[in-house]
Amino acid sequence: MNLVEVKQVSKAYGKNTILDTVDLNIQKGSFIALVGMSGGGKSTLMRMIAGLEEATSGVIVFNGHKVRGLNKEARIMFQDDRLLPWMTVMENLTFANKSPEKLAKAKELLELTDLTEHYDKYPTALSGGQRQRVALARALMSEPKLLLLDEPLGALDALTRQKMQDLILDICQKQAITTVLVTHDIAEAVRMADKIYVIKDQGISGRFDNPNYTGSADEQRLQRDHTEQKVLDVIYGI
Amino acid sequence: MAKSHQLRKIFIVVFLIGWLFIAYFGWKQTTDTSSKLTTITIGYQAGDEFDIAKTRGEFAKKMKKAGYKVKFKEFQNGSAEMQALATGAIDYARTGDTPPVTALASGTNLTYVGAGGSKEQGTGILVKTSSGINSLSDLAGKKIAYTQGTSSQYLLLKALQKAGLSTSDVELVSLDQSAAAVAYEKGKVDAWANWDPQTSRLELNGSKLLVNGSDISDNNRSYLVASTSFAKSNKKVSKLIIKYLNQDMQWVNKNQTKAIKMMAKSLKLSTSVVSKMVKRRTYSFGYMTKTAVQESQDIANLFYEQGVIKKKVNVKSHVQYLK
Amino acid sequence: MKKAKTNFWTKVYPWILPVAIIVFWQIAVQTKLINSQYVPAPSAIVAQAIKSWQAGTLQKNISISLYRATLGFIWGGGLGFFFGLFSGISALFRATFDSTIQMLRNIPHMALIPLIILVLGIDESAKIFLVAVGTFFPIYINTYHGISSVSEDLLEMGRSYDLTNWQLFTKIIFPGALPTILMGVRYSLGTMWVSLIVAETVSADSGIGYMSTNAQQFMNVKIIYLCIIIYALLGKLSDFMAKQLEIISLDWQKA
Repeated sequence: MNLVEVKQVSKAYGKNTILDTVDLNIQKGSFIALVGMSGGGKSTLMRMIAGLEEATSGVIVFNGHKVRGLNKEARIMFQDDRLLPWMTVMENLTFANKSPEKLAKAKELLELTDLTEHYDKYPTALSGGQRQRVALARALMSEPKLLLLDEPLGALDALTRQKMQDLILDICQKQAITTVLVTHDIAEAVRMADKIYVIKDQGISGRFDNPNYTGSADEQRLQRDHTEQKVLDVIYGI
Repeated sequence: MAKSHQLRKIFIVVFLIGWLFIAYFGWKQTTDTSSKLTTITIGYQAGDEFDIAKTRGEFAKKMKKAGYKVKFKEFQNGSAEMQALATGAIDYARTGDTPPVTALASGTNLTYVGAGGSKEQGTGILVKTSSGINSLSDLAGKKIAYTQGTSSQYLLLKALQKAGLSTSDVELVSLDQSAAAVAYEKGKVDAWANWDPQTSRLELNGSKLLVNGSDISDNNRSYLVASTSFAKSNKKVSKLIIKYLNQDMQWVNKNQTKAIKMMAKSLKLSTSVVSKMVKRRTYSFGYMTKTAVQESQDIANLFYEQGVIKKKVNVKSHVQYLK
Repeated sequence: MKKAKTNFWTKVYPWILPVAIIVFWQIAVQTKLINSQYVPAPSAIVAQAIKSWQAGTLQKNISISLYRATLGFIWGGGLGFFFGLFSGISALFRATFDSTIQMLRNIPHMALIPLIILVLGIDESAKIFLVAVGTFFPIYINTYHGISSVSEDLLEMGRSYDLTNWQLFTKIIFPGALPTILMGVRYSLGTMWVSLIVAETVSADSGIGYMSTNAQQFMNVKIIYLCIIIYALLGKLSDFMAKQLEIISLDWQKA
């Protein structure tokens, strides 16, 4: 069953066409990645699914309903963390609603993201990785049906980044959250997603299934490298 | 971190409460409680007849008994009072002889309702004793301060006329009282046409009067003026004010020592200065007289001749003779 | 120990110069290096303060000045905040009022005095109005600037996280603009005192400004100095309080 159906969607800013009649189905519970060159329209597609931008033509159906205005059951985790600097970690999670249930939920998520001891700190006192974990916890506060990740790990160092990837994967799998990851890092896409879509020339130029690889660690790495290479070939048009 | 903020917050709240409390106290000072009475606002200047009445306090009490609440507004000079009178900010103004004349010439609708006794001894041109200026003719080529539109302007013109000097023989500088005080003290001007209590103060501090009002037949009376429409419909008030004010004036004449002490305190001047001022004049206040009108007419005529005012003023038609 | 010592020094050091000036001043007057007729000794000014306090005039005039300053600040600051807020939020409001306000902003206070006397007379309202005019503009400009420079990204985040318009304002727009607004408050506390001096020298019979002009008229230099010192203290005090307010509400800015 599809959670999101993108049907014949085009998007243009004035005369500048970003996306041209795109079709895309996202299965409930799946983890997909949108990859491609920057400026290629992957973020735009994601923002349209979130309802932050409107399609020039075509429709996006979410959970059986046409997306009109803000999509309240989707949450975006932004490239920059966009935490409110004047609120503590706890307040950043509960800024929309401070009911006892939400406070309990926030505590649970802080536990999950290993931030419990930092609950009363301001964002300026946190490291980049910690801040993104707060942003992740915040995105999960409303128990969204769809989690949209807009290159959230781009600014992190390699080690922190890998830890974050594992954390996100773990949470999304356990809670069965449908996830869309926008990234320009192919390795990241291959590591995390079930399906990878290449956005190129105003449309979807390639689609790759990305199963859970089996075998020894070396074999898995080889298989991954192979998929990565295929994705790159499409992106560079070889 | 959090604890020090707790302290800071308490500090700010306590401070703000204190601030508002003081401000509230200030507000109480600016508003009087009795509000059912008709309010009469009187403009005056430091050291004048109403300043005495205000400090003594009897005047306001008597007026209150008669059903009027008196508010006093202090001004630095008569021309500011005339401006306030024209806009209705004050009902009466006690001023020197000149401001009403210039105000009439500029078209202000005002009426003379009362006149004070003459105070020619306390009005004059001040020079420093060490300045070497000993007669009016020595003023030629000197810098003289005065305040435009006040009695000092008339005094100065009259004195120059007597000495056979014209305004182009001297350098006239119009300054307000505060600025002139500093300029004279610092020697930026050589002479200063002024009135009591400044003249008394400076005469006791190394200055002398080169000429005073009596030398040049300038009586420099005080006048009580009101806007024409107000004067017409408030004759009763005018009479009361003049009556009670004159009672205060007679009190000063009879109780000079007490009055000097009182005024010294309110003006923050030494008793010797105030005593000099009080002793060289006779305090009184009454209705308008033909003599007073003629004196004002003389001012108007001289000003018109000298081009100070551009319109002929007929003082007679702006006078109310109370009975 | 070492840390405590440096802390002590950083607290004490800024006071060395002012204290030295006062000591030098006292000595210079006593040894007749300076003419006490124009520059009275600090001790003489303190004596004058005690004298005026005992006479009741000092506290009366301070409280009246404080009342005028406070009411003027509440009016001017309140309206400035209101106009700045709506100029920052609504393009229509901004188009309607902003250029007019910017034009009025450059009129010097003194130029307004004849008009104020003409319209409002010489009552309390005239003085309070002048203070209100002086405090309106800094708060207006800073509020407007603060609100309109709140990050678009954070606003988008707020919208996509389901905040109502009111929540957008209280959780994002206002706290985001607060540092700039508080800067405006500090600045306008300065203009508040300046406007008050101007207002009280026009035609007042009470207040610190009146005390000062009245003293000038009779060359009472001690009172003039006393008034200047009172203004300086009041100005420093209100700035200090605004600073405390900044420290508390902008706690998040320091890491």
